[in-house]
Amino acid sequence: MSDLAKEKAARLLRKRASLSSLGSHDVKAKDIAGKTKDSISTVSYMDEPGHHEDLSRPVVQMENTYELGPVKRFPVQTVNEILKDVLNSYLQEEKYEAELCRQMTKTISEVVKARVKELMIPRYKITVVISIGRLSDQDVCVASRFLWDMANDTFSSHTFKNRSLFAVGVVYAVYFE
Amino acid sequence: MEEYQTGDEVAFVVDEVNSIIKESVEGAIGGSTYQHSRVNQWTNSIVEQCLGQLSKLDKPFKYIVTCIIMQKNGAGLQTASSCFWDNATDGNLTNSVADVMKTYNFALFSCLKM
Repeated sequence: MSDLAKEKAARLLRKRASLSSLGSHDVKAKDIAGKTKDSISTVSYMDEPGHHEDLSRPVVQMENTYELGPVKRFPVQTVNEILKDVLNSYLQEEKYEAELCRQMTKTISEVVKARVKELMIPRYKITVVISIGRLSDQDVCVASRFLWDMANDTFSSHTFKNRSLFAVGVVYAVYFE
Repeated sequence: MEEYQTGDEVAFVVDEVNSIIKESVEGAIGGSTYQHSRVNQWTNSIVEQCLGQLSKLDKPFKYIVTCIIMQKNGAGLQTASSCFWDNATDGNLTNSVADVMKTYNFALFSCLKM
């Protein structure tokens, strides 16, 4: 596929994603409005990726690598240290506040992604998910499951808690075959 | 490397996946209220069913399904994700459902496998 076509497909995907999530939100908002006054607001949207690939880059036809597995395995322990370090340093002194935490989740996930990228692990795709919530006697359950290659794909997670908020950070690493 | 699949087959169809998520949430929780003892079972069955349906689509993707269920008592919850992947082939989808007694929050990611 040429770069232009790729770009187009990505844009289409983004548009569809934001459209559909908006749609579901509208429907739910109507449902809830009748039931309760302090309804939950759910906002779901996607940011533009931070930096674009250079469009003029020519398509390079790669040779076969004949690699059947990762040359360097994903260092789960190191990534766990990164998560711990970032969550601790950003959230240690913070109190829960909606707007701050909204920014915080974005910032932290970007920082963690950048730090993991710096490890330069070839052929691994990285997904970072950060959730921050307020601690107020409620119950919460965060779960994830995967359909992937058990041998090469992996994840690392860390939970942080201070007096007013909790944060769960998960880094998924998926080997690009 | 030979490409056996054309662009159409490997695209991540958002609408299709969206309906899968909705179905599995409805199926697992329906109209029930928050019960601590059943949350584990709910998350389990939602995620399990999502993955089951996704694998039936027979696409060359790997999937990560995340589900957050929180009791609703006025507390807030923020989630963000950032990814390092191929924008052209990989996609993600989030579906949040809020209810009087509980909040479900879904993030569904899928990465293309080649």
